[in-house]
Amino acid sequence: MPDTGAPATPGPEDDVVDLLLAQHARIEELFLLVIGSTGETRRDAFDDLVKLLAAHETAEEEVVHPLTRTLPGGGGDAMVDERLAEERQAKETLKTLIAGGVDAEGFDTGIILLRDAVLTHARYEERNEFPLLRQHVPADRLRTMAGAVRMAEATAPTRPHPSAQSAKGNLAAGPALAVIDRVRDAIRRPSSSG
Amino acid sequence: MFNPLEHKGIPLESQIRNWRELNVEPIDPEAVDPYTRCRIITMNGIEVEAINFQHQFARNCPDQEVRRQLAYVRYLESQQQRVVNWLLPGVASVLETTLGYEQVAVDLTAWVARHEPDPYLKQGYEFGVLEDFDHLYRYANLYEMVERRKADKIVQGLTEVMPGRPTVVEHRHPFDEVRTPYDRNTVDPRSKLHALTILSAEQQVMFYYMNVGPQYMEPIARQLYQEISLIEQEHVTHYESLLDPGENWWERLLTHEYNECWLYYSFMQQESDPRIKAVWELHLQMELAHLQQAVDLLRRHDGREPEEIVGNAGLPEPLTFEPNKEYLRHLLATQVDLNKIGEGYVREAHERFEAMQQQLHDGQKPPSEQVIDMHRERFGDEYRIETEGPHPVESLRARGGSHA
Repeated sequence: MPDTGAPATPGPEDDVVDLLLAQHARIEELFLLVIGSTGETRRDAFDDLVKLLAAHETAEEEVVHPLTRTLPGGGGDAMVDERLAEERQAKETLKTLIAGGVDAEGFDTGIILLRDAVLTHARYEERNEFPLLRQHVPADRLRTMAGAVRMAEATAPTRPHPSAQSAKGNLAAGPALAVIDRVRDAIRRPSSSG
Repeated sequence: MFNPLEHKGIPLESQIRNWRELNVEPIDPEAVDPYTRCRIITMNGIEVEAINFQHQFARNCPDQEVRRQLAYVRYLESQQQRVVNWLLPGVASVLETTLGYEQVAVDLTAWVARHEPDPYLKQGYEFGVLEDFDHLYRYANLYEMVERRKADKIVQGLTEVMPGRPTVVEHRHPFDEVRTPYDRNTVDPRSKLHALTILSAEQQVMFYYMNVGPQYMEPIARQLYQEISLIEQEHVTHYESLLDPGENWWERLLTHEYNECWLYYSFMQQESDPRIKAVWELHLQMELAHLQQAVDLLRRHDGREPEEIVGNAGLPEPLTFEPNKEYLRHLLATQVDLNKIGEGYVREAHERFEAMQQQLHDGQKPPSEQVIDMHRERFGDEYRIETEGPHPVESLRARGGSHA
């Protein structure tokens, strides 16, 4: 079987849509890994997933959705509100899963629910929002936005390795929240100047 | 072997389904057996052909009572098509379904080629499969470019992804697509089922590409669908010309229904998903009654017995979705440079082929070449899945590397 672990790294010419698509692909792979594995592998994959979801959803909330709201044919506020509502709901499920940890009873069911919600949400974006961005936003602006998202992701803390006991509670959620803050900072800086 | 002619199935008057029954739960794209997806795509193509065939039959039939009977069974076939195709998940993208279509085209055609008793017909399938094999590779590269995902998510290592007969040389003069038909009186009944199955599958691929292609915004995606849909059209010409045009409407109806029984029976045997297996089982029971109606029409209007058309041995060996990697590598090594002329096959390029190539390409690279160039440009290499070693044809090995 070929290695499907690592998605092709987006290059410098990639725009924010390419980057978000690559993140969707990676999110799909991590869900597969979490669902199909056990023990330490599952714990690590889940940590990676939590971190990526935090960075990704924050970037979308800060960049993609507000921009879509302003575009012609963007479906107005209703379409964006639907996406935001889905994201809020996914976050609630995610919080519960983080709090319980991968060994908790109900994790198997919860992770499938979260996966279905996140991947459906991602497809809506790919079908409805991303094409609008490519159609109406200048290419160089989309590339600049990619830079901001990438920088924010790179400066995020490395994957947490909580011990068996500390896998519960807020220890795992802490780094995820830190990612959100950094992504926000990085995104807001360039967008305020241009 | 199971003989569908000996079974009555579900009475026709009990076959109409309500909304609840039509509202099927789709497969989970993140946890599906790729060959379950292939079976769904295949049966969709088969049902689409059943519907279209019966529409054509009705347009050519002056008997109002027969037209009513056809209309009724056609409605049932339509509900079957809606159920089967609606098993595909809404979250899958058009390109993901496309990759599924090409996996079907490769492993279905390869299986049929391996089991076809007639050497001339077998050659026709061996020739065609190397072209669909190439389409899978072109779409896999497009998929990574526009959706940033890997085709292995769909094919899951069961089918390799690498060049076949390059799409650029698949554009031949339409004259050379027309094959010699089998003789309905002497051909093995299995050959009739094979030809109808592959024809239906390729026809559905053609319909799909010619309709979804313009939904893309990316120019390369639009162009690639346009190019490959034209090849699929030629494949339909290729496969449909294998069928004996002397078969009359009654016997064709019988062969269609018998073929549906064979395929639902086959897929019921091997289905890994119990929920989908129940669909195949139900549809087999429905088809048995459709077959009975076709038998009845054949006897009344054509004065023949069904065994004269499909034999009395019962169904052939179940058609199976399984990897065909070694077989395909063998075909690649021996037939990749094959071309067609008249109703035969040649290795040399010939005048009519060269003229067609000149007219169509007009000195430019077609989209199927551009998509690989663009992938190399953006990712530094091309996308392939070569699980069994390097490409068997040296000139088709990756230049500048590949990744999977």
